[in-house]
Amino acid sequence: MGGHFTLHRIAFYVGLVAAWQIIAMIGIWPSNVFSSPYEVAEDLVYTAMDGSLFYGVAMSMWRLAAGLTIAIGGGIILGVFMARVEVVNQTVGSLVLGLQSIPSIAWVPLAILWYGLNDAGIIFVVAIGAIFAVTINTYTGVKNIDPHFIEAARNMGAKGSQLITAVLLPAAFPYMISGFKQGWAFAWRGVIGAELLFAYMGLGHLLYAARSLTDVSQVIAIMLVIMAIGLAVDGVVFKRVENRIMSRWGLR
Amino acid sequence: MTKLEAQNIVKYFSHESHKLKALDGVNLKVEAGAFVCLVGPSGCGKSTFLRIVAGLEKPDEGQILFDGRPVTETGPERIMVFQEGALFPWLKVRDNVEFGLRMAGIPKEERTKISNRYLDMMQLTKFADSYTYQLSTGMKQRVAIARALVMDPDVLLMDEPFAALDAQTRDLLLVEMQLIWEKTKKTILFVTHNIAESAVLGTKVAIFSNRPSSIKKEVENNFPRPRVTEDESLLQFQQDILSELRPEVKKTTEW
Repeated sequence: MGGHFTLHRIAFYVGLVAAWQIIAMIGIWPSNVFSSPYEVAEDLVYTAMDGSLFYGVAMSMWRLAAGLTIAIGGGIILGVFMARVEVVNQTVGSLVLGLQSIPSIAWVPLAILWYGLNDAGIIFVVAIGAIFAVTINTYTGVKNIDPHFIEAARNMGAKGSQLITAVLLPAAFPYMISGFKQGWAFAWRGVIGAELLFAYMGLGHLLYAARSLTDVSQVIAIMLVIMAIGLAVDGVVFKRVENRIMSRWGLR
Repeated sequence: MTKLEAQNIVKYFSHESHKLKALDGVNLKVEAGAFVCLVGPSGCGKSTFLRIVAGLEKPDEGQILFDGRPVTETGPERIMVFQEGALFPWLKVRDNVEFGLRMAGIPKEERTKISNRYLDMMQLTKFADSYTYQLSTGMKQRVAIARALVMDPDVLLMDEPFAALDAQTRDLLLVEMQLIWEKTKKTILFVTHNIAESAVLGTKVAIFSNRPSSIKKEVENNFPRPRVTEDESLLQFQQDILSELRPEVKKTTEW
Protein backbone atom coordinates (compact mmCIF):
# COMPACT_ATOMS: atom_id res chain seq x y z
CA MET A 1 0.00 0.00 0.00
CA GLY A 2 1.47 3.35 -1.06
CA GLY A 3 2.19 6.16 1.38
CA HIS A 4 -0.07 8.50 -0.58
CA PHE A 5 -2.97 6.15 -0.11
CA THR A 6 -2.59 6.20 3.67
CA LEU A 7 -2.04 9.96 3.69
CA HIS A 8 -5.18 10.62 1.69
CA ARG A 9 -7.13 8.45 4.03
CA ILE A 10 -5.86 10.13 7.20
CA ALA A 11 -6.52 13.56 5.71
CA PHE A 12 -10.06 12.54 4.79
CA TYR A 13 -10.95 11.30 8.26
CA VAL A 14 -9.32 14.22 10.04
CA GLY A 15 -11.29 16.55 7.75
CA LEU A 16 -14.51 14.65 8.34
CA VAL A 17 -14.21 14.76 12.14
CA ALA A 18 -13.22 18.43 12.02
CA ALA A 19 -16.23 19.29 9.85
CA TRP A 20 -18.48 17.33 12.20
CA GLN A 21 -17.07 19.17 15.22
CA ILE A 22 -17.52 22.57 13.52
CA ILE A 23 -21.12 21.82 12.52
CA ALA A 24 -21.86 20.71 16.08
CA MET A 25 -20.25 23.87 17.49
CA ILE A 26 -22.22 26.18 15.16
CA GLY A 27 -25.29 24.83 16.97
CA ILE A 28 -27.80 24.42 14.13
CA TRP A 29 -29.29 21.55 16.09
CA PRO A 30 -29.26 21.23 19.89
CA SER A 31 -26.44 19.08 21.20
CA ASN A 32 -28.77 16.40 22.60
CA VAL A 33 -29.89 15.77 18.98
CA PHE A 34 -26.61 16.28 17.14
CA SER A 35 -23.66 15.34 19.35
CA SER A 36 -20.17 16.54 18.64
CA PRO A 37 -17.36 14.06 18.03
CA TYR A 38 -15.89 15.20 21.32
CA GLU A 39 -19.03 14.14 23.21
CA VAL A 40 -19.12 10.83 21.35
CA ALA A 41 -15.50 10.18 22.26
CA GLU A 42 -16.21 11.07 25.85
CA ASP A 43 -19.11 8.61 25.95
CA LEU A 44 -16.97 5.97 24.34
CA VAL A 45 -14.41 6.39 27.09
CA TYR A 46 -17.08 6.26 29.84
CA THR A 47 -18.70 3.08 28.53
CA ALA A 48 -15.27 1.58 28.10
CA MET A 49 -14.20 2.58 31.61
CA ASP A 50 -17.23 1.16 33.40
CA GLY A 51 -16.81 -2.11 31.52
CA SER A 52 -20.25 -2.11 29.92
CA LEU A 53 -18.78 -1.68 26.44
CA PHE A 54 -16.42 -4.63 26.73
CA TYR A 55 -19.13 -6.73 28.28
CA GLY A 56 -21.44 -5.84 25.41
CA VAL A 57 -18.79 -6.54 22.78
CA ALA A 58 -17.93 -9.87 24.38
CA MET A 59 -21.59 -10.84 24.55
CA SER A 60 -22.25 -9.96 20.92
CA MET A 61 -19.09 -11.65 19.74
CA TRP A 62 -19.90 -14.85 21.59
CA ARG A 63 -23.35 -15.01 20.04
CA LEU A 64 -21.87 -14.23 16.66
CA ALA A 65 -19.24 -16.93 17.01
CA ALA A 66 -21.72 -19.53 18.20
CA GLY A 67 -24.27 -18.73 15.51
CA LEU A 68 -21.69 -18.53 12.75
CA THR A 69 -20.09 -21.82 13.78
CA ILE A 70 -23.46 -23.55 13.57
CA ALA A 71 -24.14 -21.83 10.23
CA ILE A 72 -20.79 -22.82 8.75
CA GLY A 73 -20.99 -26.40 9.95
CA GLY A 74 -24.58 -26.88 8.86
CA GLY A 75 -24.13 -24.92 5.65
CA ILE A 76 -21.18 -27.02 4.52
CA ILE A 77 -23.01 -30.29 5.16
CA LEU A 78 -26.15 -29.04 3.41
CA GLY A 79 -24.18 -27.57 0.50
CA VAL A 80 -22.15 -30.73 -0.12
CA PHE A 81 -25.28 -32.86 -0.03
CA MET A 82 -27.06 -30.57 -2.46
CA ALA A 83 -24.10 -30.64 -4.84
CA ARG A 84 -23.57 -34.38 -4.74
CA VAL A 85 -27.12 -35.74 -4.52
CA GLU A 86 -29.41 -34.43 -7.24
CA VAL A 87 -32.62 -35.32 -5.35
CA VAL A 88 -31.50 -33.25 -2.36
CA ASN A 89 -30.73 -30.36 -4.68
CA GLN A 90 -34.13 -30.50 -6.38
CA THR A 91 -36.01 -30.66 -3.09
CA VAL A 92 -34.04 -29.00 -0.28
CA GLY A 93 -32.24 -26.75 -2.77
CA SER A 94 -35.39 -24.88 -3.78
CA LEU A 95 -36.35 -24.42 -0.14
CA VAL A 96 -32.90 -23.04 0.67
CA LEU A 97 -33.27 -20.42 -2.07
CA GLY A 98 -36.62 -19.39 -0.61
CA LEU A 99 -35.41 -19.26 2.96
CA GLN A 100 -32.37 -17.25 1.97
CA SER A 101 -34.60 -14.41 0.85
CA ILE A 102 -35.95 -13.98 4.40
CA PRO A 103 -34.00 -11.25 6.23
CA SER A 104 -32.56 -12.70 9.44
CA ILE A 105 -34.40 -10.10 11.50
CA ALA A 106 -37.69 -11.61 10.31
CA TRP A 107 -36.83 -14.76 12.26
CA VAL A 108 -36.81 -12.84 15.54
CA PRO A 109 -40.52 -13.26 16.45
CA LEU A 110 -40.30 -16.99 15.84
CA ALA A 111 -37.07 -17.22 17.83
CA ILE A 112 -38.65 -15.41 20.77
CA LEU A 113 -41.67 -17.70 20.69
CA TRP A 114 -39.56 -20.84 20.40
CA TYR A 115 -36.64 -20.06 22.67
CA GLY A 116 -37.75 -17.10 24.77
CA LEU A 117 -35.74 -13.97 25.41
CA ASN A 118 -32.35 -15.58 25.85
CA ASP A 119 -29.03 -16.41 24.21
CA ALA A 120 -30.34 -19.43 22.38
CA GLY A 121 -32.94 -17.33 20.59
CA ILE A 122 -30.38 -14.80 19.41
CA ILE A 123 -27.93 -17.52 18.33
CA PHE A 124 -30.76 -19.13 16.39
CA VAL A 125 -31.40 -15.87 14.53
CA VAL A 126 -27.70 -15.47 13.77
CA ALA A 127 -27.30 -19.06 12.58
CA ILE A 128 -30.41 -19.14 10.42
CA GLY A 129 -29.50 -15.80 8.89
CA ALA A 130 -26.06 -17.00 7.86
CA ILE A 131 -26.51 -20.68 7.06
CA PHE A 132 -28.03 -20.36 3.60
CA ALA A 133 -25.27 -18.11 2.27
CA VAL A 134 -22.76 -20.75 3.37
CA THR A 135 -24.92 -23.52 1.87
CA ILE A 136 -25.32 -21.87 -1.51
CA ASN A 137 -21.65 -20.97 -1.84
CA THR A 138 -20.53 -24.43 -0.78
CA TYR A 139 -22.95 -25.91 -3.30
CA THR A 140 -21.62 -23.66 -6.07
CA GLY A 141 -18.04 -24.44 -5.04
CA VAL A 142 -18.50 -28.19 -5.12
CA LYS A 143 -20.40 -27.97 -8.42
CA ASN A 144 -17.58 -25.99 -9.98
CA ILE A 145 -14.78 -28.34 -9.03
CA ASP A 146 -12.68 -29.34 -12.01
CA PRO A 147 -14.01 -32.88 -12.68
CA HIS A 148 -10.45 -34.02 -13.29
CA PHE A 149 -9.70 -33.42 -9.60
CA ILE A 150 -12.41 -35.87 -8.62
CA GLU A 151 -11.48 -38.37 -11.31
CA ALA A 152 -7.81 -38.26 -10.38
CA ALA A 153 -8.61 -38.64 -6.68
CA ARG A 154 -10.90 -41.60 -7.27
CA ASN A 155 -8.34 -43.14 -9.57
CA MET A 156 -5.86 -42.87 -6.69
CA GLY A 157 -8.24 -44.64 -4.36
CA ALA A 158 -10.14 -41.81 -2.63
CA LYS A 159 -13.75 -42.65 -1.87
CA GLY A 160 -16.64 -41.79 0.42
CA SER A 161 -15.85 -39.42 3.25
CA GLN A 162 -12.18 -39.42 2.26
CA LEU A 163 -13.13 -37.95 -1.11
CA ILE A 164 -15.17 -35.25 0.63
CA THR A 165 -12.56 -34.17 3.17
CA ALA A 166 -9.45 -34.66 1.03
CA VAL A 167 -10.73 -33.28 -2.26
CA LEU A 168 -14.23 -31.81 -2.41
CA LEU A 169 -13.91 -29.41 0.52
CA PRO A 170 -10.41 -28.10 -0.22
CA ALA A 171 -11.23 -27.81 -3.93
CA ALA A 172 -14.41 -25.87 -3.16
CA PHE A 173 -12.73 -23.72 -0.53
CA PRO A 174 -12.33 -20.54 -2.61
CA TYR A 175 -16.11 -20.47 -3.02
CA MET A 176 -16.73 -21.54 0.55
CA ILE A 177 -14.67 -18.65 1.89
CA SER A 178 -16.92 -16.18 0.09
CA GLY A 179 -19.82 -18.03 1.64
CA PHE A 180 -18.26 -17.58 5.07
CA LYS A 181 -17.74 -13.92 4.33
CA GLN A 182 -21.34 -13.41 3.29
CA GLY A 183 -22.44 -15.54 6.22
CA TRP A 184 -20.44 -13.41 8.61
CA ALA A 185 -21.96 -10.23 7.18
CA PHE A 186 -25.47 -11.62 7.63
CA ALA A 187 -24.57 -12.93 11.09
CA TRP A 188 -23.20 -9.56 12.21
CA ARG A 189 -26.30 -7.73 11.04
CA GLY A 190 -28.39 -10.48 12.55
CA VAL A 191 -26.81 -10.37 15.99
CA ILE A 192 -27.14 -6.59 16.34
CA GLY A 193 -30.69 -6.61 15.03
CA ALA A 194 -31.74 -9.48 17.25
CA GLU A 195 -30.17 -7.88 20.32
CA LEU A 196 -32.05 -4.66 19.61
CA LEU A 197 -35.33 -6.53 19.54
CA PHE A 198 -34.57 -9.03 22.28
CA ALA A 199 -33.23 -6.16 24.43
CA TYR A 200 -31.12 -8.71 26.23
CA MET A 201 -27.46 -7.70 26.60
CA GLY A 202 -24.87 -7.20 23.88
CA LEU A 203 -24.04 -4.24 21.64
CA GLY A 204 -27.54 -4.20 20.19
CA HIS A 205 -28.96 -3.86 23.66
CA LEU A 206 -26.55 -1.03 24.51
CA LEU A 207 -27.82 0.72 21.41
CA TYR A 208 -31.38 0.12 22.52
CA ALA A 209 -30.66 1.34 26.04
CA ALA A 210 -28.99 4.51 24.76
CA ARG A 211 -31.97 5.18 22.55
CA SER A 212 -34.33 4.78 25.55
CA LEU A 213 -32.29 7.40 27.42
CA THR A 214 -32.28 9.63 24.32
CA ASP A 215 -28.50 9.61 24.63
CA VAL A 216 -27.51 10.44 21.03
CA SER A 217 -23.77 10.52 21.67
CA GLN A 218 -23.98 7.07 23.26
CA VAL A 219 -25.93 5.76 20.23
CA ILE A 220 -23.30 7.09 17.86
CA ALA A 221 -20.48 5.74 20.05
CA ILE A 222 -21.93 2.22 19.94
CA MET A 223 -22.48 2.50 16.18
CA LEU A 224 -18.83 3.39 15.75
CA VAL A 225 -17.85 0.31 17.73
CA ILE A 226 -20.09 -1.85 15.54
CA MET A 227 -18.48 -0.38 12.45
CA ALA A 228 -14.97 -0.86 13.80
CA ILE A 229 -15.56 -4.52 14.58
CA GLY A 230 -17.07 -5.05 11.14
CA LEU A 231 -14.08 -3.45 9.44
CA ALA A 232 -11.65 -5.41 11.55
CA VAL A 233 -13.18 -8.79 10.79
CA ASP A 234 -13.55 -8.01 7.08
CA GLY A 235 -10.15 -6.46 6.66
CA VAL A 236 -8.05 -8.57 8.95
CA VAL A 237 -9.59 -12.02 9.03
CA PHE A 238 -11.21 -12.40 5.63
CA LYS A 239 -8.89 -10.38 3.48
CA ARG A 240 -5.91 -12.37 4.70
CA VAL A 241 -7.47 -15.77 4.29
CA GLU A 242 -8.83 -14.80 0.90
CA ASN A 243 -5.53 -13.47 -0.37
CA ARG A 244 -3.74 -16.62 0.62
CA ILE A 245 -6.34 -18.92 -0.86
CA MET A 246 -6.61 -16.99 -4.10
CA SER A 247 -2.91 -17.01 -4.83
CA ARG A 248 -2.43 -20.62 -3.83
CA TRP A 249 -5.32 -21.83 -5.93
CA GLY A 250 -3.81 -19.91 -8.82
CA LEU A 251 -6.86 -17.67 -9.11
CA ARG A 252 -4.82 -14.51 -9.19
CA MET B 1 1.93 -61.68 -21.93
CA THR B 2 -1.07 -59.51 -22.70
CA LYS B 3 -1.55 -56.88 -20.00
CA LEU B 4 -4.49 -55.04 -21.50
CA GLU B 5 -6.96 -55.98 -24.14
CA ALA B 6 -9.70 -53.88 -25.67
CA GLN B 7 -12.42 -55.98 -27.23
CA ASN B 8 -14.69 -54.29 -29.72
CA ILE B 9 -15.17 -51.07 -27.75
CA VAL B 10 -18.16 -49.04 -28.97
CA LYS B 11 -19.02 -45.66 -27.47
CA TYR B 12 -21.71 -43.14 -28.32
CA PHE B 13 -21.69 -39.49 -27.42
CA SER B 14 -25.06 -37.94 -26.86
CA HIS B 15 -25.03 -34.68 -28.71
CA GLU B 16 -28.15 -32.62 -28.00
CA SER B 17 -30.99 -34.98 -28.99
CA HIS B 18 -29.14 -37.39 -31.24
CA LYS B 19 -26.45 -39.94 -30.54
CA LEU B 20 -23.07 -39.71 -32.19
CA LYS B 21 -20.98 -42.82 -32.62
CA ALA B 22 -17.50 -41.98 -31.38
CA LEU B 23 -15.83 -45.38 -31.13
CA ASP B 24 -16.81 -48.08 -33.57
CA GLY B 25 -15.27 -51.30 -32.36
CA VAL B 26 -11.80 -50.55 -31.06
CA ASN B 27 -9.65 -53.65 -30.69
CA LEU B 28 -6.19 -53.47 -29.17
CA LYS B 29 -3.82 -55.81 -27.39
CA VAL B 30 -1.14 -54.30 -25.20
CA GLU B 31 1.71 -56.54 -24.08
CA ALA B 32 3.12 -56.13 -20.58
CA GLY B 33 5.90 -53.55 -20.62
CA ALA B 34 4.87 -52.10 -23.99
CA PHE B 35 4.79 -48.38 -24.67
CA VAL B 36 1.83 -47.89 -26.97
CA CYS B 37 1.08 -44.48 -28.45
CA LEU B 38 -2.41 -43.74 -29.70
CA VAL B 39 -2.55 -41.14 -32.47
CA GLY B 40 -5.49 -39.93 -34.49
CA PRO B 41 -7.28 -36.86 -35.78
CA SER B 42 -8.56 -34.56 -33.05
CA GLY B 43 -12.02 -35.48 -31.86
CA CYS B 44 -11.62 -39.11 -32.95
CA GLY B 45 -12.24 -40.42 -29.48
CA LYS B 46 -8.74 -41.62 -28.56
CA SER B 47 -8.94 -39.80 -25.22
CA THR B 48 -12.38 -41.32 -24.64
CA PHE B 49 -10.88 -44.71 -25.33
CA LEU B 50 -8.17 -44.03 -22.74
CA ARG B 51 -10.83 -42.98 -20.21
CA ILE B 52 -12.66 -46.23 -20.85
CA VAL B 53 -9.44 -48.16 -20.20
CA ALA B 54 -9.06 -46.17 -16.98
CA GLY B 55 -12.60 -47.08 -15.98
CA LEU B 56 -13.66 -43.43 -15.87
CA GLU B 57 -16.24 -44.08 -18.58
CA LYS B 58 -18.20 -47.16 -19.54
CA PRO B 59 -18.28 -48.46 -23.11
CA ASP B 60 -21.68 -48.97 -24.74
CA GLU B 61 -20.44 -52.28 -26.14
CA GLY B 62 -17.34 -54.38 -25.71
CA GLN B 63 -15.02 -54.68 -22.76
CA ILE B 64 -11.54 -53.97 -21.50
CA LEU B 65 -9.60 -56.87 -20.04
CA PHE B 66 -6.82 -56.24 -17.57
CA ASP B 67 -4.76 -59.38 -16.96
CA GLY B 68 -7.70 -61.22 -18.47
CA ARG B 69 -10.27 -59.77 -16.05
CA PRO B 70 -12.90 -57.29 -17.22
CA VAL B 71 -12.48 -53.69 -16.06
CA THR B 72 -15.59 -52.21 -14.41
CA GLU B 73 -14.24 -49.18 -12.55
CA THR B 74 -11.08 -47.22 -11.87
CA GLY B 75 -8.32 -49.01 -10.06
CA PRO B 76 -4.88 -48.24 -8.67
CA GLU B 77 -3.33 -50.65 -11.18
CA ARG B 78 -4.34 -48.28 -14.01
CA ILE B 79 -3.41 -44.70 -13.20
CA MET B 80 -4.29 -41.79 -15.44
CA VAL B 81 -2.08 -38.75 -16.04
CA PHE B 82 -4.28 -35.91 -17.23
CA GLN B 83 -3.44 -33.37 -19.89
CA GLU B 84 -3.47 -30.48 -17.46
CA GLY B 85 -2.04 -32.59 -14.68
CA ALA B 86 -5.06 -32.16 -12.38
CA LEU B 87 -2.72 -31.38 -9.51
CA PHE B 88 -4.32 -30.29 -6.25
CA PRO B 89 -3.51 -26.61 -5.67
CA TRP B 90 -4.16 -26.86 -1.94
CA LEU B 91 -1.35 -29.35 -1.47
CA LYS B 92 2.39 -28.94 -1.63
CA VAL B 93 4.24 -30.87 -4.31
CA ARG B 94 5.21 -33.60 -1.86
CA ASP B 95 1.65 -33.95 -0.58
CA ASN B 96 0.37 -34.13 -4.14
CA VAL B 97 2.81 -36.93 -4.87
CA GLU B 98 1.84 -38.74 -1.67
CA PHE B 99 -1.90 -38.35 -2.21
CA GLY B 100 -2.63 -41.93 -3.27
CA LEU B 101 -0.49 -43.33 -0.46
CA ARG B 102 -2.36 -41.21 2.06
CA MET B 103 -5.69 -42.46 0.73
CA ALA B 104 -4.39 -46.00 1.15
CA GLY B 105 -3.64 -45.26 4.80
CA ILE B 106 0.12 -45.69 4.53
CA PRO B 107 1.88 -44.06 7.53
CA LYS B 108 3.65 -40.75 7.09
CA GLU B 109 7.15 -42.11 7.53
CA GLU B 110 6.78 -44.66 4.79
CA ARG B 111 5.03 -42.18 2.53
CA THR B 112 7.99 -39.83 2.82
CA LYS B 113 10.38 -42.61 1.93
CA ILE B 114 8.42 -43.54 -1.17
CA SER B 115 7.77 -39.98 -2.31
CA ASN B 116 11.45 -39.11 -1.88
CA ARG B 117 12.33 -41.78 -4.42
CA TYR B 118 9.94 -40.47 -7.06
CA LEU B 119 10.60 -36.80 -6.35
CA ASP B 120 14.23 -37.62 -6.98
CA MET B 121 13.44 -39.59 -10.16
CA MET B 122 11.43 -36.66 -11.56
CA GLN B 123 14.03 -34.12 -10.34
CA LEU B 124 11.53 -32.44 -8.07
CA THR B 125 13.35 -32.72 -4.75
CA LYS B 126 14.04 -28.98 -4.67
CA PHE B 127 10.35 -28.25 -5.19
CA ALA B 128 8.95 -30.67 -2.63
CA ASP B 129 7.68 -27.85 -0.43
CA SER B 130 6.39 -25.61 -3.24
CA TYR B 131 2.77 -25.17 -4.12
CA THR B 132 1.73 -25.99 -7.65
CA TYR B 133 1.04 -22.38 -8.64
CA GLN B 134 4.74 -21.74 -8.17
CA LEU B 135 5.67 -24.31 -10.83
CA SER B 136 6.06 -24.07 -14.59
CA THR B 137 3.82 -26.20 -16.81
CA GLY B 138 6.66 -28.66 -17.35
CA MET B 139 7.30 -28.99 -13.64
CA LYS B 140 3.61 -29.57 -13.04
CA GLN B 141 3.64 -32.48 -15.47
CA ARG B 142 6.65 -33.93 -13.67
CA VAL B 143 4.63 -33.80 -10.47
CA ALA B 144 1.68 -35.43 -12.21
CA ILE B 145 3.90 -38.26 -13.44
CA ALA B 146 5.52 -38.69 -10.02
CA ARG B 147 2.09 -38.76 -8.39
CA ALA B 148 1.06 -41.55 -10.77
CA LEU B 149 4.28 -43.55 -10.38
CA VAL B 150 4.02 -43.49 -6.60
CA MET B 151 0.93 -45.68 -6.94
CA ASP B 152 3.18 -48.28 -8.59
CA PRO B 153 0.52 -49.07 -11.20
CA ASP B 154 0.96 -51.80 -13.79
CA VAL B 155 -0.33 -49.44 -16.43
CA LEU B 156 0.16 -45.71 -16.89
CA LEU B 157 -2.51 -44.00 -18.97
CA MET B 158 -1.29 -40.68 -20.30
CA ASP B 159 -3.71 -38.29 -21.99
CA GLU B 160 -1.68 -35.83 -24.06
CA PRO B 161 0.44 -34.96 -21.04
CA PHE B 162 2.93 -32.88 -23.01
CA ALA B 163 0.47 -31.02 -25.25
CA ALA B 164 0.71 -27.76 -23.32
CA LEU B 165 4.51 -27.70 -23.06
CA ASP B 166 6.97 -25.58 -25.02
CA ALA B 167 9.22 -27.43 -27.49
CA GLN B 168 12.37 -27.51 -25.34
CA THR B 169 10.60 -28.73 -22.22
CA ARG B 170 8.78 -31.34 -24.25
CA ASP B 171 12.01 -32.66 -25.81
CA LEU B 172 13.53 -32.97 -22.37
CA LEU B 173 10.53 -34.83 -21.00
CA LEU B 174 10.40 -37.11 -24.04
CA VAL B 175 13.91 -38.30 -23.23
CA GLU B 176 13.11 -38.64 -19.54
CA MET B 177 9.91 -40.49 -20.25
CA GLN B 178 11.90 -43.16 -22.10
CA LEU B 179 14.29 -43.50 -19.16
CA ILE B 180 11.41 -43.77 -16.70
CA TRP B 181 9.76 -46.41 -18.82
CA GLU B 182 13.00 -48.41 -19.03
CA LYS B 183 13.64 -48.04 -15.31
CA THR B 184 10.12 -48.80 -14.05
CA LYS B 185 9.09 -51.35 -16.72
CA LYS B 186 5.58 -49.93 -16.77
CA THR B 187 3.08 -50.65 -19.48
CA ILE B 188 2.19 -47.27 -20.95
CA LEU B 189 -0.73 -46.15 -23.08
CA PHE B 190 0.01 -42.67 -24.34
CA VAL B 191 -2.49 -40.53 -26.27
CA THR B 192 -1.02 -37.79 -28.44
CA HIS B 193 -1.80 -35.88 -31.59
CA ASN B 194 1.90 -35.27 -32.12
CA ILE B 195 3.38 -37.79 -34.53
CA ALA B 196 6.99 -37.01 -33.62
CA GLU B 197 6.14 -37.63 -29.99
CA SER B 198 4.62 -41.01 -30.79
CA ALA B 199 7.64 -41.97 -32.92
CA VAL B 200 10.06 -41.09 -30.14
CA LEU B 201 8.15 -42.79 -27.33
CA GLY B 202 6.30 -45.80 -28.65
CA THR B 203 7.24 -49.43 -29.03
CA LYS B 204 4.06 -49.41 -31.04
CA VAL B 205 1.91 -46.69 -32.56
CA ALA B 206 -1.80 -47.35 -32.98
CA ILE B 207 -3.45 -45.07 -35.53
CA PHE B 208 -7.10 -44.18 -35.02
CA SER B 209 -9.34 -43.48 -37.99
CA ASN B 210 -11.71 -40.56 -38.14
CA ARG B 211 -15.02 -40.78 -36.25
CA PRO B 212 -16.71 -43.19 -35.82
CA SER B 213 -13.27 -44.49 -35.16
CA SER B 214 -11.46 -47.74 -34.77
CA ILE B 215 -7.80 -48.56 -34.91
CA LYS B 216 -6.83 -48.33 -38.54
CA LYS B 217 -3.30 -49.59 -38.26
CA GLU B 218 -0.70 -50.59 -35.69
CA VAL B 219 2.95 -49.92 -36.44
CA GLU B 220 5.83 -51.45 -34.50
CA ASN B 221 8.74 -49.18 -33.71
CA ASN B 222 12.02 -50.91 -32.92
CA PHE B 223 14.43 -48.01 -33.32
CA PRO B 224 17.16 -47.96 -30.67
CA ARG B 225 16.77 -45.70 -27.62
CA PRO B 226 17.13 -43.14 -26.34
CA ARG B 227 15.44 -41.50 -29.29
CA VAL B 228 15.14 -37.76 -29.82
CA THR B 229 12.73 -35.84 -32.01
CA GLU B 230 15.40 -34.80 -34.51
CA ASP B 231 16.57 -38.39 -35.16
CA GLU B 232 16.74 -38.60 -38.96
CA SER B 233 16.27 -42.33 -38.87
CA LEU B 234 12.82 -41.72 -37.37
CA LEU B 235 11.71 -39.39 -40.15
CA GLN B 236 10.61 -42.16 -42.51
CA PHE B 237 8.66 -43.75 -39.67
CA GLN B 238 6.96 -40.44 -39.01
CA GLN B 239 6.18 -40.09 -42.72
CA ASP B 240 4.52 -43.49 -42.75
CA ILE B 241 2.26 -42.59 -39.84
CA LEU B 242 1.48 -39.26 -41.37
CA SER B 243 0.45 -40.80 -44.68
CA GLU B 244 -1.95 -43.08 -42.80
CA LEU B 245 -3.28 -40.20 -40.75
CA ARG B 246 -3.61 -37.55 -43.42
CA PRO B 247 -6.72 -38.94 -45.14
CA GLU B 248 -8.36 -39.32 -41.71
CA VAL B 249 -7.62 -35.74 -40.74
CA LYS B 250 -8.92 -34.63 -44.12
CA LYS B 251 -12.23 -36.40 -43.44
CA THR B 252 -12.73 -34.38 -40.29
CA THR B 253 -12.73 -31.20 -42.34
CA GLU B 254 -15.42 -32.63 -44.61
CA TRP B 255 -17.85 -33.06 -41.73
